[in-house]
Amino acid sequence: MTSGEVAPRRRLPLRRAWALVPLILLLAVVAAFAAAGGPVLDLLGRNPPPADQFDIRRVTLEPGVVRIRVTNPQPDELTIASVTVDDAIVPFTLDGPATLERLRSATIVVQYEWVGGDPLSVGVTSSTGIETTKDIGAAVETPGASARGFFGYAVIGFLVGVVPVALGLLWLPSLRRTPPQWLAAFMALTGGLLAFLAIEALGEALERQAALPGPLAGPGFVLLAVAASYLGLAFLAQRLGSRGGAAAPALSGLALAALVAVGIGLHNLGEGLAIGSSFALGELTLGTFLVVGFMVHNVTEGLAIAAPAAEERRIRPTWLAALALVAGAPAILGAWIGGFVTSDLLAVVFFGVAAGAAFEVIVEVGRYVRRRAPGGLTSGHVIGGFLAGLVIMYATGLLVG
Amino acid sequence: MSKSKITRRQLVVGAAPLAAAGPLYGLAAPLLASDREASHMGHELPAAGHAAMIGDQVPAPGGPRDLDSLLVPPPALPHEPGRVREYTLVASDRRIEVAKGVYFEAWTYNGTVPGPIIRATEDDLLRVDFLNAGSHPHTIHFHGIHPAGMDGVFEIVNPGERFTYEFPARPYGFHPYHCHATPLKKHIHKGLYGTFIVDPPKPRPPAQELVMVMNGYDTDGDGENNFYTVNGLTFYYAKYPIRVSRSQTVRIYLANLTEFDLVNSLHLHGDFFRVYRTGSTEQFEYTDTVMLCQGERCILEIDFANTGTFMFHAHQSEFAELGWMGFFDVSD
Repeated sequence: MTSGEVAPRRRLPLRRAWALVPLILLLAVVAAFAAAGGPVLDLLGRNPPPADQFDIRRVTLEPGVVRIRVTNPQPDELTIASVTVDDAIVPFTLDGPATLERLRSATIVVQYEWVGGDPLSVGVTSSTGIETTKDIGAAVETPGASARGFFGYAVIGFLVGVVPVALGLLWLPSLRRTPPQWLAAFMALTGGLLAFLAIEALGEALERQAALPGPLAGPGFVLLAVAASYLGLAFLAQRLGSRGGAAAPALSGLALAALVAVGIGLHNLGEGLAIGSSFALGELTLGTFLVVGFMVHNVTEGLAIAAPAAEERRIRPTWLAALALVAGAPAILGAWIGGFVTSDLLAVVFFGVAAGAAFEVIVEVGRYVRRRAPGGLTSGHVIGGFLAGLVIMYATGLLVG
Repeated sequence: MSKSKITRRQLVVGAAPLAAAGPLYGLAAPLLASDREASHMGHELPAAGHAAMIGDQVPAPGGPRDLDSLLVPPPALPHEPGRVREYTLVASDRRIEVAKGVYFEAWTYNGTVPGPIIRATEDDLLRVDFLNAGSHPHTIHFHGIHPAGMDGVFEIVNPGERFTYEFPARPYGFHPYHCHATPLKKHIHKGLYGTFIVDPPKPRPPAQELVMVMNGYDTDGDGENNFYTVNGLTFYYAKYPIRVSRSQTVRIYLANLTEFDLVNSLHLHGDFFRVYRTGSTEQFEYTDTVMLCQGERCILEIDFANTGTFMFHAHQSEFAELGWMGFFDVSD
């Protein structure tokens, strides 16, 4: 029946256009409410007054000068009226207008002879009298965006990121001589280490998110970062896996090692950021002992990459160097970002991404162990290795209580 | 408040095999240490220190003569028992600028914080007509000696209602008045307070008379004051120093109506003053710093020995730096 074929084809554009109807109606309702919604809300009584809190993004200290970067996270505009340093009203200048629209920022410049090593608190009061304060644990001069500072952060990032991972990779020859069930145990240990890192990163992301002003990010924002990184890595893993053959879903050898390196690299990005920003904000004393501590701790990350790589008969040294850089070098990038542009929002993203990446790599490691390990996922070596990974992390954490 | 921190995990202690890292760290540390060569663009900076806190640069609200009616009391009248002194006080809600650019939803008597200065001579009959034009029940509780029914505690005046307080003015001295509706703390810190002078039967010697009411404002409702002032505006007398003459005694009627903090004080630079507690005796103390609890008041008499600019402020440094600071400009 020709008419029966023609009729639906004719109606098709109309059916497609129907999809626009809800959107058009929504626009109409929004417009109507915007025009005359006031009386509707009045039925509920008066709105409470706005919160009027600023978000103090960054406090920078130079000799005799305090710079305060503030953002207006509120739906309505907000005016900077008064500034205090250590509970004293101080004259200030602004790099723009005092009235900030939503999500606009300004830098407040105050001449103030701050005392090095002492705690410092700054307060910004809106024209409605609401004061937002930020405490600095110990006032230290913020490293300037100079070549020296840039190089300094790079050295720190290199020391805590690249060096230990590279050292850990040197376990590769020893791992090659390990019997299969013990190699499986080391793989499970890798899973345990990653699981610990993932939970810590997730906790860190949620903790920092909770400290952000409400309008900027809720817990869903952390989920977005975690999911984006998890799914992104899953996509990458699928691509890497299918190269060897369509029916090879579980990654192994160098590909798995590369994925573990990416996951650890994302974690080290967050770790570098934490070190850099804490140092810049005077919350961390970077002593020799602490740097050494980071290095010892991160050697385990090298082991985590070496375990899957041990399956390969021979790996070119350039590949190993690349793995060490992928896993370790992000610490340098993180330290730069943390040291120079500290942003709590960015930190939430980084830790969320680190958590998602670690979770994904755990899944890949799990699939590998299930297929390759003698006795599968529930063998004594695997269970013991995984728990040992958690215990190593927990015990090293206990040492500093 | 957001705060970056290093987690427990990241604070792992080191061990021997990597002690070689120490020298390497030694390379990095000086690189991260203070970089004093960084340019500071000094020209864009505001001035700092006390030099910045006098004259036009001072972050004080208001114009040059805005506080005259709260600073200079009406003249004293001779002793004339039974004379009626009438005042009208209207309570109203009003948004006032308490610090430069900072507004406070105040409850006021006659639109200002503190309220108007009331003055009578001992044995005058004080008649204060009170209209509550605010949005909450209020009263006026006067300190001093008066009948129980005039105490402003049980005679709650609802919005839109009136009440007339009538009592003989006594004893002579300097006294506060304030709202006594509950919650008391709220009604006082919102701004419902002021002072009244009762002159003694035998007039005080002539002087340049000033009234100073010390107070504070908790603008963000956290139970702590964000600003401290004298006569209601932060740093006002730093921006507009009080002009006095060395040839005549300066008499200050000083009261403390600061909510949330136990005590307030006044310290004068470069000179001493006589302190008459509550202004009700002839006895005095000779000092340059006087401390008053909330509700306490006194009369100070200064005979300036020198001309020039002399600071006065709360000797609680915190209060001084949060707005309670000013200057006398003493000329011959």
